[in-house]
Amino acid sequence: MGSTTVLLYSACPREGSTPEEARSALTLGRATAASLGGDLEWFLLGAKPSDAEAIAAEQGVARLHHCAAPELGADTQVAALEAFCAAHAPRIILFCQDFDSRVVAPRLAGRLGAGVVMNAVAIETGEALRVTASAFGGDTRGVYEFTGDGTAVIGLQPNACLPEAAESPSAPESCAFETDLGAVGERIVVIEAASSEGPRLEEAEIIVSGGRGLGASENYHWIEELAEALGGMAGASRPIVDEGWTDASHQVGLTGRITRPALYLAAGISGASQHMAGCGAAKAIAAINKDPDAAIFRYARYGIVGDCLEILPELVRAAKEQRHE
Amino acid sequence: MKIYVFVKRVLDPDAVNNYALVGKLEIGADGRSLTQTAIPDLMNAYDEQALEVALRLRDAGTECTIHVVTVGADRTAILRHAASIGADEISEIVPEDPEVDVHTTAALLAAFVRQKGTPDLVLCGRQASDDDQGVVPALVAEALGLPLVNVAKAIEKHGDSYRVTRVTPDGDEIVAVEGAAVVTLSNEVGDPRYPTAAKKLKARRVSPEVVTASDLGVSGATRTKLVQQFVPDVEQNCEFIEGASPAEIADRLIERLREDRVLP
Repeated sequence: MGSTTVLLYSACPREGSTPEEARSALTLGRATAASLGGDLEWFLLGAKPSDAEAIAAEQGVARLHHCAAPELGADTQVAALEAFCAAHAPRIILFCQDFDSRVVAPRLAGRLGAGVVMNAVAIETGEALRVTASAFGGDTRGVYEFTGDGTAVIGLQPNACLPEAAESPSAPESCAFETDLGAVGERIVVIEAASSEGPRLEEAEIIVSGGRGLGASENYHWIEELAEALGGMAGASRPIVDEGWTDASHQVGLTGRITRPALYLAAGISGASQHMAGCGAAKAIAAINKDPDAAIFRYARYGIVGDCLEILPELVRAAKEQRHE
Repeated sequence: MKIYVFVKRVLDPDAVNNYALVGKLEIGADGRSLTQTAIPDLMNAYDEQALEVALRLRDAGTECTIHVVTVGADRTAILRHAASIGADEISEIVPEDPEVDVHTTAALLAAFVRQKGTPDLVLCGRQASDDDQGVVPALVAEALGLPLVNVAKAIEKHGDSYRVTRVTPDGDEIVAVEGAAVVTLSNEVGDPRYPTAAKKLKARRVSPEVVTASDLGVSGATRTKLVQQFVPDVEQNCEFIEGASPAEIADRLIERLREDRVLP
């Protein structure tokens, strides 16, 4: 039998505070470690968040490992993790799934000869390690069993669980992990970086999103106007991004942005699972759709059955009036 | 140059979604397979986009052989479709166990490519629309020691290097990679081409090369197995807002959102 340690890995490209996803992952990791009778550990690569020690204590982390890295390309991350695993051999390595970890996690698994499951929403330990993962764009869940005792790499979907503090905080031991990353050459060179100016949909508190129900490209401006009137951001379903009504940076869904706003207002969106994967974690969904049987109403807290082109202008007016009150 | 395109046969995800939304998606007696025969099979749409990008490289003047490869028995239909739109060679790799996992799939594909000789480019979809895992490209890249560029929408060849446009959450990014690489493609590639009737007819006469796991010497690569599949429950709890006019409905919604403190 190998080690029973459960490790969360976080890449920290910038200084700042710990993202909420890491706290959720630590909560899930703590339960998994407890059921295996092992420890929860956390490995930070890059700039250590200012609140890392406090979060680690709150979440019951036994050891907090940190390794500085000048840059965090995929080759650097895989090399650092490979070295870390050679030294510590965790049983389970958890990743908070995001754009970069969708490459780093399976590459690490390939490097280690480990098993990997992405899109995980739950972990069960028992006779075997089992992971429940989203499939078919969220229509189904698959339960995967790891067939051996070797390292298991698991990518956790954002919002797999809610963060919860440990019953009693721990006194995490801080460990500096040293490995020579200078020799790692990044094989992929960025020539033109993405222009990420402005706020990100992932961090928006209010999102107004439009779909095919808008009828035509020229009606998308109602989404932008309502978003502005509510102090939020504009989103879109994949079909209208594919049609070019707005650009891909607005796409919400499994293959777009995974958002978690306080309010997600969906206009003319049917509610396909692919889309819901990107907004299902909203605290409240309000939906406008002509079809009373549209799937979106299964997820919505507030529903309006009607033509979004009639309702949206009135919502813009009402939102502006409310703002001026 | 030699371009490999890996494709997967999947159940039509739109048909699966339609059945799931009306609560009629059936799971077979084994507790893990989707058994409805009314759901058609097709080539994973992201893989079709990968093939489209290979064909666009050729259209742009790159001399290349495009070799389309899949894992699974009886995959003639999707492979012939690939041939009808311009694939030069088509192969299917038959695994030992038809319920092959991602790790064995990647091991088979990597062994196949290794046996055929060095690739210049390996293309495939960013993920399969059935399991959504998206890990096979990374596992193949590791097995072949190649870099991986994921979620791309365009590839240009400049001498021995490639310029790849990636669709990142922060917008498009252009990266360069020297020599052979694995690249995954996303829906932003745009619509893949269709075959002409004549090419479709002609493709009916081609048969894929069939290779087995034992031909490739691959065994023991399995790391996971699917033991169960189910449709998650959704609790409906929607308050429908009504009114005499769109204006009244809009006012009422804003009012309710404020009452519940969803809006400040």
